[in-house]
Amino acid sequence: MPENDRERTSRPDPDVLLALVDRDKRGKLTVFLGAAPGVGKTYSMLMRAQRLKKAGVDIVIGLVETHGRSETMALLEGLEVLPRREVVHSGRTFSEFDLDAALARHPRIIVVDELAHTNLGDSRHPKRYQDIEELIAAGIDVWTAVNIQHLESLADVVAQIAGVQVRERIPDTVLNRADDVLLVDLPPTELIERLKEGKVYLPDSASRAVDRFFRLGNLTALRELALRRTADRVDDQMVDYLRQHAIEGPWAAGERLLVCIGPDALSEKVVRTASRLASGLNAEWIVVSMERADGEDGDREEMRQLDDTFRLAEQMGAQTRRVIGNDFVEEILRLARREHATQIIIGARQDRSPLRFLRRSLADALAARASGIGVHLIADSDKPSARPKRTRARASAKEIARWVAIAATAVASATAAGLVIERFVILQNISLLYLLAVLISASYAGYVAAIAAALFSGLAYNFFFIEPVGTFTIAEPHEVFAFFVFLVVAILVGSLASRIRQQAKAARRRATDILTLYDYSRTLSGTVDVEDVLWAAVTQTQKMLRRGAVLLLPEDGDIALSVAWPPDMELSVTDMMAARWAFEKKETAGNGTGTLPNSPFQFRPLMTPHGVVGVCGYVQRDKPLEINEERALAAILDQTAIAVDRARLSRETLDQAARLEGEKFRAALLSSISHDLRTPLATITGAVTSLRQLGDRMPEESRNDLLQSIEEESGRLTRFVANLLDMTRIEAGTLNARRDWVDVADVVRTAVERATKYFPERAFETSIAPDLPLMRGDSVLLGQVLFNLLDNADRFGGDDPVSIYARREGNEIVLSVTDLGKGIAPADLKHVFDKFFRKGRPDGRARGTGLGLAISKGFVEAMGGQIKAESPAVKRRGTRISMRFPVAIAEPSKRGCA
Amino acid sequence: MTAERILVVDDEPQIQRFLRPALGAAGYEVVEAMTGGEALKAAATRAPDVIILDLGLPDMDGKDVVANIRAWSQLPIIILSARDRESEKIAALDLGADDYIEKPFAIGELTARIRAALRHRIQMQGGQAQLSTDGLSIDMVKRSVSRDGKALRLTPKEYDLLVMLARHADRVVTHKTLLTAVWGAAHGEDLHYLRVFIGQLRSKVERDPAAPTIIRTEPGVGYRFVRDDN
Repeated sequence: MPENDRERTSRPDPDVLLALVDRDKRGKLTVFLGAAPGVGKTYSMLMRAQRLKKAGVDIVIGLVETHGRSETMALLEGLEVLPRREVVHSGRTFSEFDLDAALARHPRIIVVDELAHTNLGDSRHPKRYQDIEELIAAGIDVWTAVNIQHLESLADVVAQIAGVQVRERIPDTVLNRADDVLLVDLPPTELIERLKEGKVYLPDSASRAVDRFFRLGNLTALRELALRRTADRVDDQMVDYLRQHAIEGPWAAGERLLVCIGPDALSEKVVRTASRLASGLNAEWIVVSMERADGEDGDREEMRQLDDTFRLAEQMGAQTRRVIGNDFVEEILRLARREHATQIIIGARQDRSPLRFLRRSLADALAARASGIGVHLIADSDKPSARPKRTRARASAKEIARWVAIAATAVASATAAGLVIERFVILQNISLLYLLAVLISASYAGYVAAIAAALFSGLAYNFFFIEPVGTFTIAEPHEVFAFFVFLVVAILVGSLASRIRQQAKAARRRATDILTLYDYSRTLSGTVDVEDVLWAAVTQTQKMLRRGAVLLLPEDGDIALSVAWPPDMELSVTDMMAARWAFEKKETAGNGTGTLPNSPFQFRPLMTPHGVVGVCGYVQRDKPLEINEERALAAILDQTAIAVDRARLSRETLDQAARLEGEKFRAALLSSISHDLRTPLATITGAVTSLRQLGDRMPEESRNDLLQSIEEESGRLTRFVANLLDMTRIEAGTLNARRDWVDVADVVRTAVERATKYFPERAFETSIAPDLPLMRGDSVLLGQVLFNLLDNADRFGGDDPVSIYARREGNEIVLSVTDLGKGIAPADLKHVFDKFFRKGRPDGRARGTGLGLAISKGFVEAMGGQIKAESPAVKRRGTRISMRFPVAIAEPSKRGCA
Repeated sequence: MTAERILVVDDEPQIQRFLRPALGAAGYEVVEAMTGGEALKAAATRAPDVIILDLGLPDMDGKDVVANIRAWSQLPIIILSARDRESEKIAALDLGADDYIEKPFAIGELTARIRAALRHRIQMQGGQAQLSTDGLSIDMVKRSVSRDGKALRLTPKEYDLLVMLARHADRVVTHKTLLTAVWGAAHGEDLHYLRVFIGQLRSKVERDPAAPTIIRTEPGVGYRFVRDDN
């Protein structure tokens, strides 16, 4: 928060208020802080708990270590104590705090002692403070206790004062975020008194260290640390209070620290110092590392160390950045200005590394160019043991042997060549041959080989070519000079060549990475299906990391495994819990994180601007990713998230389109049915009201015409309603076709008569085979079918006559109706028997109900027959609808009972 | 005076079949058109006094016919419509159609609409400063409204609303037209304004606000100022 906050506004700072609102939903954390064991933290916590319990507050004991002390035990009486969880760890059984039981019990306040405890076995979180975070997130107030020495930022101070390395540490942020810190204080002399009386619990094994730890000087120093830390907090709270209540006051000026670190042990110290400085100044601080843009990737050990330092800084409450650039000074200053930093902190190492001059100049250059910004140098301690071993020297002996062998071979070849050439020509500069050997070694095998080759060359050159030949001595003074110049040149050339080789290697690897990513994004952009995206993503992740990968997507309110590569991978219950955690909390979970590290997988949420779309997991098994893999994974995850999101959206769009299509169809259907019902009704209503109101003014023939139209429209309406009812019967399956003996010729005749009455303009031609047998069926239904077909033929049949044929074909009776109209388009042909299908205008309004053929099909099938449509029927014109019925086996005497 | 000429545009021959003798008997001359194209041609060449227009035409959208005619003429258009084409009907009214009647309809209803439309056409030519119905009288010059001789106090918005309705007496005015005219184009969709103000207006001008006879609701479409036929 730069300038803005320094302005003295008289309105409450909205950020402060927001943070408060957020805090209200969460539980409150109260930390009982002590300077040393034995000051009475647990005791004081339980005293208060008893008091609240008596006042009727829902407070339970999640975990308290009484260490067998009777006065503490007595305080537990009357309080609800949650049972612990049995945990087996390396063959022994321990009891641990049961987080899930506490969450299930969900009291108002829970007491969980020993904030700095490290959980054992298969606990969800490795540290107790993480358990407590979860309790608070669930809205439960937590009381806990901790000694000042466990604070991360004070670890090295405590180590210096008390000479004890504290292993169980908590990030400073835990204490900083606590809503209340209660200092439990006891003067050191009294504490020592209590210790002597045996009132302080200490594990037996630690008794020797105890004497060193519980010295007056130590305890006083620790007490001061605790007091000061509490005082700082009180100060912060006062400032918060002032801002919240818009009280103008002398708020601390917004100091901001920029802390530069590198991959070395000094950086850890720099971070710790900066942390103390930051808390002293009440300042925000940013930790930044520098990477060369053109440089090779640092080796793995260094990267890990850098990551560790970053993690430490984050735990202490710093923001972290990684900056890539060539001009470190410029990049640091640019960042400092952008972040409004007021102080820059940098480590000044006093070592003998070959890069020493570079670092010196960095600190110096910063000091020279950072106008207006303070530069703090943190000097290295003089204990050399603190420095880690350089890992570059840690190459295996086998590798070194290979490099040396390459160098030796190159030099031997150069020597041989030199000796041969010398036979034939006088060569002034044999040394050039050796330079060639050095260059070849450097570019094939790197730095070590280059140096080895340079040394071997020097020896061989001296031995074989410099007078006196055959010895390692040099006779001529100018030869001595030339020899040393050669050595220096050889070493320089070698190191340069090897550096170029490394850069080329790094560049090649990056190019491959970029190419792979590019391929991946191209693959993704070609896929629209979620399934395809998932497969591409999971195989790509596996290929890139050379580790198994899984993808999980949300399903019915939970997440489920969607794809895995290799495909036979399965997720255990713990894995699923970690995956769910990553999905719900939108943070990395599983192996290598603070949540469920027992899972072999690490899970990462797939984030898009719309939120989390899924989770990607890969097999980590305690082998973290290298920095370049990390980068590649981040890029893959980003692309995958976006692609999954896009695929899902496009699927939703398709579903939507299908739904819309369906709705449109239903709307058209409704509109056409209502039109079919309404038009006759409108005509009837209009005609009737006209006759009533205006009939006396109309000529006779108009009145008759109106009456006739009423009759016709009523008939039309009746037919339509009958059709609808028939259709309903067919659909409901309640159509019972009779199985009488039917004379087809008779039925045809009746249908044609009826059709002629309705369509007087139309000519019908019938042709019935004289040997036509009787068929089994329902004469009424068959008549209706025929009439429907004739009705259709009349409507679409053009001006030519409609013909009806009936004849026997093998064991079937075939009945067909053929018109010579325009016919039916091939695409429509398969739909003609569909309900409400009709040839007509796109709005579905057409003459006819769209039910005739559908009903015909239903009737024919109910009688055990088949119906089909052909078009064109004759000479590229017309439509033929033909029906086939089986000939009944036991045929009664013709015309017996029709 | 010669008979008024009515152009009936409907593609259903049955409808034409009864409208022709019925309207003829009611004293009108009927011109028929089966398609939108024919309708436009007839409107231009046969000089009808009123157009009765079915929205579902085989060759073009009925709304386009309205828009086309409104581009050059104010002659009254009555829409023949069905309940399932509600939105089209409203769109046609917003495009400038004067009134609508729903199928199926009684002939008396149609002739009443035709008379209202014709009367309005005459008003448009002559203009009208005063209007009274059922004891309510509106003086548009003095901007005063009275019921049974007693002056009513209307807010400016209420007055605007009343006058907007009265100017289109006996014809439907759509929600959108009212909102745009009284509140401005930005409020074309704010139906709740209208509901509130119509309620207030009715409580002042109607004899029985619970059973309004002057400002009638046309459900889903708009309102109609009804004049008694005296």
